[in-house]
Order: sequence, then structure tokens, then C-alpha cells
Amino acid sequence: MTDDDKFFERLRVDARPLRYQPDEVTLARIRARIRDRIGGGSPQPTVALLLARWFRPLAATLAAISLAAVIGVATFGSDELTVRESAVEITAAGDVYSVGN
Amino acid sequence: MSNDDPLEAHAIARVQQGDASAYDYLVSKYLPRVVSIARGVVRNAHDAEDLAQEAFVKAYESIGRFRAGEPFGPWIYRIVTNAALDVVKHRTKFRQEELVDNAAAARRDDSDLGALRGELARRIDAAIDELPEMQRLVARLHLVEELDHQEIAAATGLSDGTVRSHLSLARRKLRERLADLYGDNDD
Repeated sequence: MTDDDKFFERLRVDARPLRYQPDEVTLARIRARIRDRIGGGSPQPTVALLLARWFRPLAATLAAISLAAVIGVATFGSDELTVRESAVEITAAGDVYSVGN
Repeated sequence: MSNDDPLEAHAIARVQQGDASAYDYLVSKYLPRVVSIARGVVRNAHDAEDLAQEAFVKAYESIGRFRAGEPFGPWIYRIVTNAALDVVKHRTKFRQEELVDNAAAARRDDSDLGALRGELARRIDAAIDELPEMQRLVARLHLVEELDHQEIAAATGLSDGTVRSHLSLARRKLRERLADLYGDNDD
């Protein structure tokens, strides 16, 4: 450590009382004022939050459409099965006709 | 610089997600140092409290741009340092008003100084005050706030080399001005 460094180290120790230390009342007052100022607003959203806000409704819509499609296919499939199962055969003049319900 | 405080990193993440109550942790942790830094620049406790408040509100409003994993300290120190320097520049610009303000500020400062211990600290304070603006700022952050070179660079926006250069010049001048207290040779 050089002479200059030693001087600065001593100065640093002696300058320590110069650090301003607000009392607890002052700190509490400033904290309350900050809380009041930020209480009404919300911070600027991050890019990830903005994207999430856009994609959440879109994802929900897509999910709803997918669900409707699955239900539709399932329903259509079961209807077809019902028709096949409940088909009636009619014989007229030697010809056989198959008629759905 | 990385954030070594997991509570702080968690608080920042929660504030970024919109939880304003999580900001209390950051305010409580850094408020005393932020007020002290501001006071060191503007030399007035009342203005320092206002500046600290403004700095925290500004930081909150733009916390969305804050990079995850970084420590909050250097960022808030930089915001308050810039705001305090703006106040000082404004005072210099309107020097006529400053003459009046200074009288009031000096009266307030006298009461602040009452809390300071010892004649030695007063002499050091006066010697730092006589330095040119950036040397004064860097010297105060190093000697009084005990920030290292890297932290001072982050707080002021100066390069590490420039910080070292300012500190070197400040050290030489302080040594001259305080020669009667510390002598020419420290050993």
C-alpha cells in the first residue's frame, strides 16, 4: 500500500461521521410518501408481461374453438353410429331398401 | 455486477409483476444511503429527502426496464446522483436565487452538522467541498459513502478509469489542504 493509499484509508475512517443518517421518523415519513405516490399506479410492464396480456385471450379463444371442434366431432361420430345401428331394411317387389331413422 | 441478495431479486421480480407492496423491501434497504448520497451533493437535508423520494418513484415507474439479476443499489444511486447534480446545476444557473437559497440552506445545514462528530470531520467536509464538481462527487462517494470504484462508476455513469483519475486528483488536493492534520508523511 502506497503512502497515498494509506492517507486515503485514514481519511475514509475520519470521514465516516460525515455520512448523513436520517432518523427513523424521517425515514418513515419518506417511506410513507413513496408508498402514497406509487400506491395508485402500477409500474411499466415488462415485454414478457405485455406479450402475456396479448396472448392470454388469444390462447383462451383457441382453446375454446378446439374444445368445440372436439365436442362436434364426437357428437357427429356418435350420430353416424346411431344411424347405422338403427337402419331399417324394407323389401319391396324383391328389392331391398335400407332406410336410416 | 450480480445481485447477491435473493430477497432483493425476489422483490424486484414481484414489483415487475405489479405487486407494489414488494417495493417496501427495496425502499427500506436503500433509503438511508440514497438520502445520504443526495445530501452529500445538494448539501441540504430537506432537498435530499425530496430527491430520495423522487428517485424511488422514478425507479418504480421504470422498473420494467430493470434487468433481472442486477443489484438495485447502483441503479437507484445513479438515479439520485443525476437528480441531485441537476439540482446543483439549476442552482448554479440561477445564482442570484441561489444566494438567497444558500442562506436558508446553510441554516438548515448547520443543524444537520450538529449531528456530525468532531472538528476533524468538519475540516474534511470543507476540504471535499472545495474540490471541482466531479472530483467532489467521486471523493464523497468513496470516502463518505464508502463505495468502491466499480460502484462509483455505476452510480455516476463514468468509466472506471475516469473514476480512478478523479479520485487520484482529489486525493492529491485533499492531502495538500489537510496537510496540517495529516502531515506530509502518514507513517
